[in-house]
Amino acid sequence: MPPILPDFSSSVKLKYVKLGYQYLVNHIITLTLIPIMIGVSIELIRLGPNEILNLWNSLNLNLVQILCSSFLVIFIATVYFMSKPRTIYLVDYACFKPPVTCRVPFATFMEHSRLILKNNPKSVEFQMRILERSGLGEETCLPPSIHYIPPKPTMESARGEAELVIFSAMDSLFEKTGLKPKDIDILIVNCSLFSPTPSLSAMVINKYKLRSNIRSFNLSGMGCSAGLISIDLARDLLQVHPNSNAVVVSTEIITPNYYQGNERAMLLPNCLFRMGGAAIMLSNRTTEKRRAKYRLVHVVRTHKGGDDKAYKCVFEEEDKEGKVGISLQKDLMAIAGEALKSNITTMGPLVLPASEQLLFLITLIGRKIFNPKWKPYIPDFKQAFEHFCIHAGGRAVIDELQKNLQLSTEHVEASRMTLHRFGNTSSSSLWYELNYIESKGRMKKGDRVWQIAFGSGFKCNSAVWKCNRSIKTPIDGPWTDCIDRYPVHIPEIVKL
Amino acid sequence: MLGTEFCGKVITRTQNLGLNEYKFLLKAIVSCGIGEQTYAPRNVFEGREASPTLKDGISEMEEFFDDSIAKLLSRSGICPSEIDVLVVNIAMLSVLPSLSSRIINRYKMRHDVKVYNLTAMGCSASLISLDIVKNIFKSQRNKLALLVTSESLCPNWYTGNDKSMILANCLFRSGGCAVLLTNKRSLKNRSILKLKCLVRTHHGARDDSYTCCTQKEDEQGRLGIHLGKTLPKAATRAFVDNLRVISPKILPTKEILRFLFVTLLKKLKKTSGGTKSTKSPLNFKTGVDHFCLHTGGKAVIDGIGMSLDLSEYDLEPARMTLHRFGNTSASSLWYVLGYMEAKKRLKKGDRVFMISFGAGFKCNSCLWEVMKDVGDANVWEDCIDNYPPKSLVNPFMEKYGWVNEVEDPNNYELPDFLK
Repeated sequence: MPPILPDFSSSVKLKYVKLGYQYLVNHIITLTLIPIMIGVSIELIRLGPNEILNLWNSLNLNLVQILCSSFLVIFIATVYFMSKPRTIYLVDYACFKPPVTCRVPFATFMEHSRLILKNNPKSVEFQMRILERSGLGEETCLPPSIHYIPPKPTMESARGEAELVIFSAMDSLFEKTGLKPKDIDILIVNCSLFSPTPSLSAMVINKYKLRSNIRSFNLSGMGCSAGLISIDLARDLLQVHPNSNAVVVSTEIITPNYYQGNERAMLLPNCLFRMGGAAIMLSNRTTEKRRAKYRLVHVVRTHKGGDDKAYKCVFEEEDKEGKVGISLQKDLMAIAGEALKSNITTMGPLVLPASEQLLFLITLIGRKIFNPKWKPYIPDFKQAFEHFCIHAGGRAVIDELQKNLQLSTEHVEASRMTLHRFGNTSSSSLWYELNYIESKGRMKKGDRVWQIAFGSGFKCNSAVWKCNRSIKTPIDGPWTDCIDRYPVHIPEIVKL
Repeated sequence: MLGTEFCGKVITRTQNLGLNEYKFLLKAIVSCGIGEQTYAPRNVFEGREASPTLKDGISEMEEFFDDSIAKLLSRSGICPSEIDVLVVNIAMLSVLPSLSSRIINRYKMRHDVKVYNLTAMGCSASLISLDIVKNIFKSQRNKLALLVTSESLCPNWYTGNDKSMILANCLFRSGGCAVLLTNKRSLKNRSILKLKCLVRTHHGARDDSYTCCTQKEDEQGRLGIHLGKTLPKAATRAFVDNLRVISPKILPTKEILRFLFVTLLKKLKKTSGGTKSTKSPLNFKTGVDHFCLHTGGKAVIDGIGMSLDLSEYDLEPARMTLHRFGNTSASSLWYVLGYMEAKKRLKKGDRVFMISFGAGFKCNSCLWEVMKDVGDANVWEDCIDNYPPKSLVNPFMEKYGWVNEVEDPNNYELPDFLK
């Protein structure tokens, strides 16, 4: 609000004014049409039925005119339906549930850390401090080869982890959807830091004996937002190929990327990244409409690679000893905020209701013309979405986004609880969060979900889904055995 | 450039290779069809091929980007901010941020550019990237796409002595290509080729096709690419399957009818005997004027030439590319195309057929139509007049033939140039 007016925001009456304003602007078309229709119907009633009949007969329509006009109507309708982009449905998805034997409680992690980094007590201290403030819980999982002291990251074990994660997610997906492997037309696999030859997509094709004319793609190196990039690619492909099913597999294979050096900025990912994966089935078949869970509304991608600082903030490089690791710069949060703003600027006009857009426009004009000191109006995204799935990149990311978007604790609960239970599972974290919301029974038909993910490079991608049908609490899934314990309160610092 | 003498030096300084491996290598190199002017990454010349760092791998790629992409953009007069889609496929290097992000950063592209980074899709990856661009173009109008394809050799040098894995060291060479694609009508007059159709076949469902080319550790735990003995068979199977799908799309109706007629005749004549020729009953030359074959190796080119019944003239571009540049993996098709262009073979209305194979096992092919007469020598500029050379035999046999006679490796005196 401009500073010249007294502070009304605390007044309760303002809430009703705001509600009234929103209702007025959002339904303006209906509100203007109703008086017009009432006027027309009153006029018609006044004329009386005989007059109307005379009017009708005087039109002198002959057969040709009727045919032409009906053809015109049919033609326009056909053109409209043909040029409409196909609707993409998310039929179902399955998240990988890591086995209990892979759990890494804090005590295990710190013990391993002390043994591996025994020459560097300062690095061990650093890892402990990070773990205390990380927001992770005691049930997150690391792959079997990382449990060795020292870890044994061979290609065989990396392939083993990939098989464990991807195949169990795919098996679960097949069971849930009843999809037959032969019916998959498009397969997209994304895993940032592990790309063996033949690719992971070839591995999936080999295991499930998929068709030989399948369109498979293997994306990598695209960071934690790669899941949404894969969804974008699937959408483009499904627009072109009618009656097709697409399966997107999002995962991150930790085995080959566990940093084994001492550089602090690179030890950070070791503390946060955990094992996880998800398989998603998308389709554009009209037969799937009834049982599909969600409908894809928008995907917006923003890439800030043109800016050098943004580009360097998540970087894989060698440390002084030649060991490869991912270093995270200190200005990561600021850059994430910038990328988010960029993404919102494109997303806002697509999803915000008219009332918010009008307010934003007014303050924008006001700032440009009248007084640049007006605070920029941050549109209220809670009006556009019921649920938010923020990539569980770390506690700081969730805090920052909660502040920027002015979200309540309940909105970010899914993200925080996923970070606590599963850690940062990179591109698949969004799906664990969505599953949390479903498991809590909060997803209703017509609800809109906003998935936001950040990635190296620096990218910010978002996807908007609309719930297609009422969803019963899932009976199987990664949250089934622990959902009753959640939400938990995560203290600022967990004393180790 | 990798000359014969330098190759000898590289082999002698590679540990773990014994006499048997030398003999095997000699046989492989002599029959591979690769010449004296192929390229290898910088760290080989600095003697560090066995211990590559991440920096080496990235600098190898950056050198390629600086050269090709800059040249492409300046030649076509396109500003980087006009690019809407970027697809990068570099099979064996996966870094964070991705190489596509590096390109975006270097050339300051727009923030809403659609970028995809494909890896591990083998030597046929450039046609897969083309598939992505094709699909995006179908649903979005007026877009410009940049396709960057290359192969990273630096981090993938094999330091062991498993014979099936050393082969990869000998065959693969450095190379890359940047391609500008568009569906803007305004650029129609400037374009060189038009894509007619693209077909992909994936035989990953068959175990023997899937395992014939895999990256794995040998018994000593060293990472390398294993090329199995079932590779030629898997390749042929995938090739036949792919042809089965693409032939109706590219051959004229007359040819297809003729083929059906001939097959029918053969079936009626049940006692026609077993003259099973490996030639294809279809004459591809009726629908295709030029053949761009993946330069996987001499055996691959010979194999395809025999099965499609192609003449030496048709196979010349592929053979010369193999000789001059080696097997540059995904980008090899574009070098072959460059040869045809430099030799001024491409005339308006001609049809070019591209085919490539990849690990997994994939076979992808596509058909282009030439839009205007082109004759730009590009990367073949300095040597096109020397091609085709009179003899394709490389001097490895005469320089290193003595290895075959060595009985006792410990007492043999090495020739001067190898010391």
